[in-house]
Amino acid sequence: MLDFFTIFSKGGLVLWCFQGVRGPAAAATAPVNALIRSVLLQERGGNNSFTHEALTLKYKLDNQFELVFVVGFQKILTLTYVDKLIDDVHKEFRDKYRNEFQQKGTLGLLNGTFDFKEDFLRLLRDAEESSRVRAPTVMKTFEQSLKSQKTVKCMIETRGEKPKEKVKNKKNKGPKKEGTEAVAAPGKASAGDKQPPAAGDKEELTKDEILQKNREEFFRRHKKAGEKSSKSPKPEAQKEKGKKPRVWDLGNSNAKVLDYSNSATNGSAEAVPAEEFDRDTALGDRNREPGRLYDLEYESDDEAEEEKVTQNPSKPSAKKGGGLGGMFGMLKGLVGSKSLTREDMDPVLEKMKDHLIAKNVAAEIAVQLCESVAKKLEGKVMGTFTTVTSTVKQALQEALVQILQPQRRVDVLRDVLEAQRHRRPYVVTFCGVNGVGKSTNLAKISFWLIENGFSVLIAACDTFRAGAVEQLRTHTRRLNALHPPDSHGGRTMVQLYEKGYGKDAAGIAMEAISYARNQGFDVVLVDTAGRMQDNAPLMTALAKLIAVNAPDLVLFVGEALVGNEAVDQLVKFNKALADHSMAQTPRLIDGIVLTKFDTIDDKVGAAISMTYITSKPIVFVGTGQTYCDLRSLNAKAVVAALMKA
Amino acid sequence: AMAGGLEPHLEALRRELRASDPTVLSVLLALLAVVITFLIWRFVQARRSSRKAVLLLGLCDAGKTLLFARLLTGKYRDTQTSITDSSAVYRASNDKSASVTLIDLPGHESLRLQFLERFKAAARAIVFVVDSVAFQREVKDVAEFLYQVLVDSTVLKNAPALLIACNKQDVTMAKSAKLIQQQLEKELNTLRVTRSAAPTSLDGSSTGAPAQLGKKGKDFDFSQLPMKVEFVECSARGSKGEEGDADFEGLEKWLAKIA
Repeated sequence: MLDFFTIFSKGGLVLWCFQGVRGPAAAATAPVNALIRSVLLQERGGNNSFTHEALTLKYKLDNQFELVFVVGFQKILTLTYVDKLIDDVHKEFRDKYRNEFQQKGTLGLLNGTFDFKEDFLRLLRDAEESSRVRAPTVMKTFEQSLKSQKTVKCMIETRGEKPKEKVKNKKNKGPKKEGTEAVAAPGKASAGDKQPPAAGDKEELTKDEILQKNREEFFRRHKKAGEKSSKSPKPEAQKEKGKKPRVWDLGNSNAKVLDYSNSATNGSAEAVPAEEFDRDTALGDRNREPGRLYDLEYESDDEAEEEKVTQNPSKPSAKKGGGLGGMFGMLKGLVGSKSLTREDMDPVLEKMKDHLIAKNVAAEIAVQLCESVAKKLEGKVMGTFTTVTSTVKQALQEALVQILQPQRRVDVLRDVLEAQRHRRPYVVTFCGVNGVGKSTNLAKISFWLIENGFSVLIAACDTFRAGAVEQLRTHTRRLNALHPPDSHGGRTMVQLYEKGYGKDAAGIAMEAISYARNQGFDVVLVDTAGRMQDNAPLMTALAKLIAVNAPDLVLFVGEALVGNEAVDQLVKFNKALADHSMAQTPRLIDGIVLTKFDTIDDKVGAAISMTYITSKPIVFVGTGQTYCDLRSLNAKAVVAALMKA
Repeated sequence: AMAGGLEPHLEALRRELRASDPTVLSVLLALLAVVITFLIWRFVQARRSSRKAVLLLGLCDAGKTLLFARLLTGKYRDTQTSITDSSAVYRASNDKSASVTLIDLPGHESLRLQFLERFKAAARAIVFVVDSVAFQREVKDVAEFLYQVLVDSTVLKNAPALLIACNKQDVTMAKSAKLIQQQLEKELNTLRVTRSAAPTSLDGSSTGAPAQLGKKGKDFDFSQLPMKVEFVECSARGSKGEEGDADFEGLEKWLAKIA
């Protein structure tokens, strides 16, 4: 049933492979490579299964000997024994070849022959048999059921006895189920016939007693209700006799009935006794000047100090509580090689997760990251003098740097040169929600491009917001003043292509691109209107713009202040782009521009959230509102700021 | 007179030492022992961390892990994308030469720079493996990685010998080493301009301007680099397929020279 099962080292050598159903050996490498690249290297190792085309892949990491176990089977099958099989194979393989791994190291992996086929087949057979379902429960015949035991008389329902019978039946259903299970297991029909009647009689007796007890308790509890008789039919009969006319709240009542006001004071001015009006409490601070508006008082420092003071007394008490045993435990933890278990790592990971969330990383991403790091570290043998905290911190730091490394080349200038060679303009589209800084950063990027000698055409496809076109016109004028045509050989470096307000953005973009091609502009920067990710018609319009014009680079502009919203924005934008594109491989977001980076001190978590969700790189970082405030991302600095306490 | 002046001092010292507790003497001896151990440790560490490593770098699927396996054992092994480094001691065929440590680093984009950081200080030589079949498609990515390796400050300082191994020559569509050299020189020439014009890094920590590759004003040439660069063709799989040997005499000769 399995397609393949491979065991390979983390260094890339395949130690053993089993081809199940399919023939060629190469069929295993492509899905496994996809697994490695999408899951392990992108820190999505939280859940251990992965789907690739028609296959489902399940994997397990051995962090002590640096091995990976992967099993692949058809997606449509649901095999329940796979998890157990992987665990068993892992244990057996590790125990069998422990020597090779420990003593000979890499050369052992290279030279060793891992003849595991018989063991694997045996384990596979065991796993398949253990998961084979038990013989399905046989439906019992009518003779076996309880219903055949009842007499016709007791099944006739009379008015008064109705509730009693119902209650009895309900209580019988429960024990009936138990009775049938007891029947199914031995599977003997004769024994089954004898059992239910005996069980039924006994239960009926006890049911009566239980019923009586319950009724007494019920009436005891509702003593105040009073007139409830011991038998339930009677209250129903009494209610029937005394039917009272129903009084509706809103109809038929006149204003008099509804007037609850105090008749004496209604309308008269001085009837209300003057309340004791305390001027001091009403006005608050006696010393304020009348008419002046005071500033918001900034008390964060005091509060921080108070927090520290309260924390400090708690810490020494914890230390004292630990005492000698704690100290020895700590020493034992420091020295010697012990492997990491989940329990050791959990408190540290919890703390790291809270720390990340405090640094503005989206909550679900922090959780997934910590899960993935836990999976990577489980079972790893720590060296001497390394604590659990330091190991986990180190692994988390590496994971964060790994996420921030771009998965594709980030060199806009090189691509512009390439497009220049082909005599076509390089088209960049900016999209994002409202107010993140698209137009501002567009101006900064055009300034940077002009400095490098490329001519830019700005396409004003924001035909909705008031003043959008004028804003871009002002930027164009300023940029032309900074870089006049004379200093660039008589060529205007920046030009604005606009068609006013209210027109179709995709059409304007298309015209702008053909205009740029005719006039020989190097780059076209397309500015779109800001839109919320839930706004379906606007998202459709954006997707249409991108699908029709096929820009070279689609940049999502996001602000660094955003918190958990980043996840939602990016997911919905990508989804909209994918849904509305006609092509086989839809154009998704190619890069991210992170703006307003100067407003966050070290709460740089938004960078992590955004790159984790899209796995696309951060191309530019905006750090201010002047033309020179454009930076590129430095992964190490960002991670250092994130991990800083 | 001088000796006369010294004598009473020495006498005083000796009397002092004899008079006082032996703690002063023992303290002095302990300090001396510590200093000597420290010196020995520094010496040993310097010897141990002398650069003896040969790094195998390259893009994903260039054939680094297979080359690693072939060099060490001569046998063909199936490989997957590496997630971590592997290292082993390699002894050239003639036993007279010393041994070097071959280190195979992962080529995936998220990992390559991290591992390079870790091992660059110990590198005596670098083998940059290039997939000759996919080169035309990947030339920009190959050039970018090579550029990042070449402008690294540690690499510039140590100037390890560089060998560009054009792998997968057993396939008919493979490009020749000469063509690859020309293309790489052109790409690196362009990259010099575009990389130095990129927006500065976030906290401006990049020390001044990024290092200049080659000579300004002239087109980039591999001979302008401070280290020795060679191009060699090889095939890890070998022309006879998986059972035969790999064709990499050029590589082996170069390794023997390095060791």
